Amino acid sequence: MITYLSRHLQVLFATLGDMRRTPMTSINTLLIIAITLLLPSLLYVGIKSAQSLSSNWEGRPQISIFLQKDLSDSAAELIFEEIQLHPSIELAEFITPEQALAEFRLLSDDNVSLEQELTFLGGNPLPASIVVMPDKASAKSESLMALKDQLTQFDGIDTVRLDLDWTDRFNAILLVFSRVSLLLSALLALALVLIVGNTIKLLIFNRKQEIEITKLVGGTDSFVRRPFLYYGALFGLLGALISLGLLLIAAELTHQPMSDLATLYSSDALIHRVTLSEVFALIAIGTFLGWLAARWSVAQHLRNIQPK
Amino acid sequence: MIRLSHVNKRYPNGHEALKDVSFELAAGEMAFISGHSGAGKSTLFKLITRIEKPTSGQIIVDNQNLSRMKPAKIPALRREIGVIFQDHKLLFDRSVFDNVALPLIVIGMPHDEIKKRVRAALSKVGLSGKENQSPITLSGGEQQRVGIARAVINRPNILLADEPTGNLDEALSDEIIDIFSDFNRVGVTVLIATHDLRQVGRLGKRTLQLNNGALVQPNPTFSGDDLTSGDHQ
Repeated sequence: MITYLSRHLQVLFATLGDMRRTPMTSINTLLIIAITLLLPSLLYVGIKSAQSLSSNWEGRPQISIFLQKDLSDSAAELIFEEIQLHPSIELAEFITPEQALAEFRLLSDDNVSLEQELTFLGGNPLPASIVVMPDKASAKSESLMALKDQLTQFDGIDTVRLDLDWTDRFNAILLVFSRVSLLLSALLALALVLIVGNTIKLLIFNRKQEIEITKLVGGTDSFVRRPFLYYGALFGLLGALISLGLLLIAAELTHQPMSDLATLYSSDALIHRVTLSEVFALIAIGTFLGWLAARWSVAQHLRNIQPK
Repeated sequence: MIRLSHVNKRYPNGHEALKDVSFELAAGEMAFISGHSGAGKSTLFKLITRIEKPTSGQIIVDNQNLSRMKPAKIPALRREIGVIFQDHKLLFDRSVFDNVALPLIVIGMPHDEIKKRVRAALSKVGLSGKENQSPITLSGGEQQRVGIARAVINRPNILLADEPTGNLDEALSDEIIDIFSDFNRVGVTVLIATHDLRQVGRLGKRTLQLNNGALVQPNPTFSGDDLTSGDHQ
């Protein structure tokens, strides 16, 4: 066991020495790996940040309650009072038909045709409505649906509309975005394997004679393979570390403007803070992909190099 | 130690390198193979070290049938055989020490032990103190001796040498062949391919002569038939 370990340590240090002997090739490859790993990492941080943003969303959804058109003012007042007393509702606002029409006028840009139509309809067609904001506990999708159902039971209410559109749309976009990112990350991982695999291939051809002679003096396939696997894994590991450094620089550069933005919205930090386990995951993924690339390259090219 | 029976080797380009070659080399024996260049000496060595496979016939090295040998067993076979190549096959980007140590490194020997053995082997071939030099700075004869040190470092049972005195002067040639004799004296089976008839005459050892891939003087004590008949039982 100890000889096995020391043999591996020997190869590890020999490989590090070899890397130092060809610094330009090593640095180029490491930077390519680092950038290839950085892109998915940035996407990940971006999605994580957006997810925490949508879950702590300050602007809670609104529920618009449209009252029946022929309801008397006193009946409407009664409904409004009842709704205000509902335990799940934090805020309620009564909008008279006149207020609604005034707002409509404000938003409409073709006032001439609007006035014509109003004349044609013979008065204000808009019903009175109540806009309510549920409290924080009820702001989740499921409880909102329940609240909506409760409100629909009230007498004198025509329709209840739940204004979930915005958050729904945001979450839907986020989902699409994270799927696309996942696909992109998979493609980048493949690119990384191809790049490292190609570097290992060049290394193998550079050491063709050494491999032949090693096999001649009785070196096993796994002995011949080992340094290349170390090369791949070390490339991945060091590339991941550089990528992590770049990620920290990016976080540092965006920290001030982001916290300014957060203060403006009286919100917590907008950028997802990378956790220790995510750091280890990045390093592990980098090392694994490097190793995998070497394994693939070695399987393709080492068998063909035999002593002549 | 080495037995060949009715070995033929035809290369894919149609060249017949060996034709019906049968001989046996007993454990601890030393012999020469002579013949013009292209007579099949190098092919013979490639077959014994399982670099090439025979087209037909049997090769048995240290009781192992090479035709049936699984690829995973080849490294173990090669560790038993020290080979000295005509073109030395040294790594010029490594020191003399690293070149000689290679057969020990591949078996995972501890570094201290490797150091001792490499020093001993280099002193045996008269290259003490050249550990840290690059082989490229050495003369042809010195490079040849680095190759010998590497071949013997793992104390193999068999030594194969392909034209070890190729471009060397007489004194140096004698020195190198004497090194092989020394190893033979301690029980190593030695087979040397050479066209240096002076060496053949000097040591008076058995000589196998190859001519266009065929043995000119088949070994009178062994025709190869014993092996084939024995193998079928």
